[in-house]
Parts: sequence; structure tokens; C-alpha cells
Amino acid sequence: MSVITIASSKGGPGKTTVCQALATSLAGELRVVALDADPTQALSRWAANAYEGPPIEVLAEPDETRLAHLIAAKADAADLVLVDTAGFGNRAATVAMTSADAVLVPSLSGEADVTEAEKTIRLVAALAQAARREIPARVLLNRVRRTTLARHAAAELEAAGLPRMTVTLSDLVAYGEMTYSGRLAASGQPAAEIAALIAELRELGWVSVHALQQHVAS
Amino acid sequence: MKTLKQRSANSRPSPEAALSIATTAAPNLPPAQLGSRDRPTTLNIRLRSSTFAAITGRARERGMTIKQVLCQALADAGVAVAEADLEDRTPRRRG
Repeated sequence: MSVITIASSKGGPGKTTVCQALATSLAGELRVVALDADPTQALSRWAANAYEGPPIEVLAEPDETRLAHLIAAKADAADLVLVDTAGFGNRAATVAMTSADAVLVPSLSGEADVTEAEKTIRLVAALAQAARREIPARVLLNRVRRTTLARHAAAELEAAGLPRMTVTLSDLVAYGEMTYSGRLAASGQPAAEIAALIAELRELGWVSVHALQQHVAS
Repeated sequence: MKTLKQRSANSRPSPEAALSIATTAAPNLPPAQLGSRDRPTTLNIRLRSSTFAAITGRARERGMTIKQVLCQALADAGVAVAEADLEDRTPRRRG
């Protein structure tokens, strides 16, 4: 029903972690499909070896042609399709952004991260124009600490006119632990942050409230 | 009566359209997976001219490459042909 691509042309801003956290937290309510378009297959390995929560269908597909067809097929069958992409400009990520209903662009606070987040947002805008449809995209500041650097990164995004999520994710050990344990703590700061992120995604209409209600009712 | 298309019908593009849009908007990007364990190799075979003519004729009829005709026949016969060998990957000029 809803396709969210998680992308950035920079490696290491937390794309896979965000994908894991969203999938883990939404799988109980929604039929979630996660497509792993990153050839490192970190998401697929996590799903196969560590994940312990409600069922998520995870499929690895770095080939852009097959990925395009997979997204179309799964978008019809699932409530939410998350597409995790590789951390460099590549065809599969571009196709995933073109096919998405929305694009989430995780970014750290460093200059290179913010610059690549901007490039990714601009690419989504170009793809949306070429496709003659709206593809909303927002930067999600990740691994944020209460420092001047984080405030500066937020100011830089604002100055560049880049839309960003109000919610930010903190630099917490729990997110790293989730990649090994396959679960995110049900309470505490990480759970609250992901819940706030999901609430904002719902508010934006990126995660369908209708699907949530339908699934809970059935 | 003119058929005027809606400028921003916000439906997802078809897979073919998404591929085409992505290629047009960002033509120089590499594939996500640069290397593959299933590396390409070469097969040379000597055939009678009549066999070769029959294969090329069939390829022309079906709008396929010679390699596709051969690989498709092998796949139909149960040989495990890699999916990449069933695709037309002939480089084409733009414009």
C-alpha cells in the first residue's frame, strides 16, 4: 500500500538501522515487506539470523530491473514496503526512489553526510519531476547528540531548504544492539523515539492509518 | 476530443516506467552490485551454415538475439540457464 525507500548516497548514516527499527516496530500491526537492495545484505542477514519479532518478509534484490518489479508486486500485497538501499549513487536506489511513495534520508551531522543528504533530496526532486508525480522526501537526523555540531547540521539543512523530520534519533547503544539481538527494547528512549518517528510518518501520510486500522480490525 | 493527461496523478509508475525514468534522470549511475560470482564467460561453437541461418532466422522472427534463442531453448529443455543470459543486453545507442 505504501512504499518508503530509505536512501542516501552516503554510506553509514543508519539506513539499515532505521529500516530495522521501523520494520520491528510496525510488523505487529502491519504486513511489512522489507526489500534489501544493498548488495552487502545487512538487512537480509539480520532478518535471517537475528530478528525475533512478528513476521516480516525480507527479500534481497540489488538488481534494478528485478527490484522495480518486486516493489510493484509487493506494494499491492503489503501494507508497508520498506526499501533499504546501498550507500552510494546506484541504479537500484534510483529505481527504488522513483517507485516510492516517500523517501526517508537518514543523515549524520558531519559535513559530508549533510552534503550527500542534500544530493539525495535533489535527486528525488528530479525523479519526481521526471515521473510527473510527488515523491516527498525528508532528512532524518540520526545518531544525534546534544551538541553544537547537531544544531549546526540542523541549521545547515534548514539553510539549504531541505525538508527534515521533526523527530531525530539519538546516538544510543540500543540501536546497535538491535542489529545483533534482533529486537528493540519495548520501553525507554529508543522505543519512544521510534514511536515518535512512526507517529510523524503517520501524520505525513507515509504510513497509512487506514491500513493500520484495517489490519488491527481483521 | 483531446486526451489531456493529469500532470500529477500521484500513482506509482509501472516497473518499466520507473526504470526508464531512473535511467533518464540519472544515466551515469552504476549498478548496485558491481561484481557477481556468476561471472560471464565465452562459448564458441562451430555450426553448419544452415543451422546458423535457421537460428538467426528464428531470432529475427522473434525479435531476439541469437544468444537469447539458444539460451531460451536450453532453458526450455531444463538446463539451468542464468536469468541474465535470457535477457537482451545488447548495447544500444541513445537518441
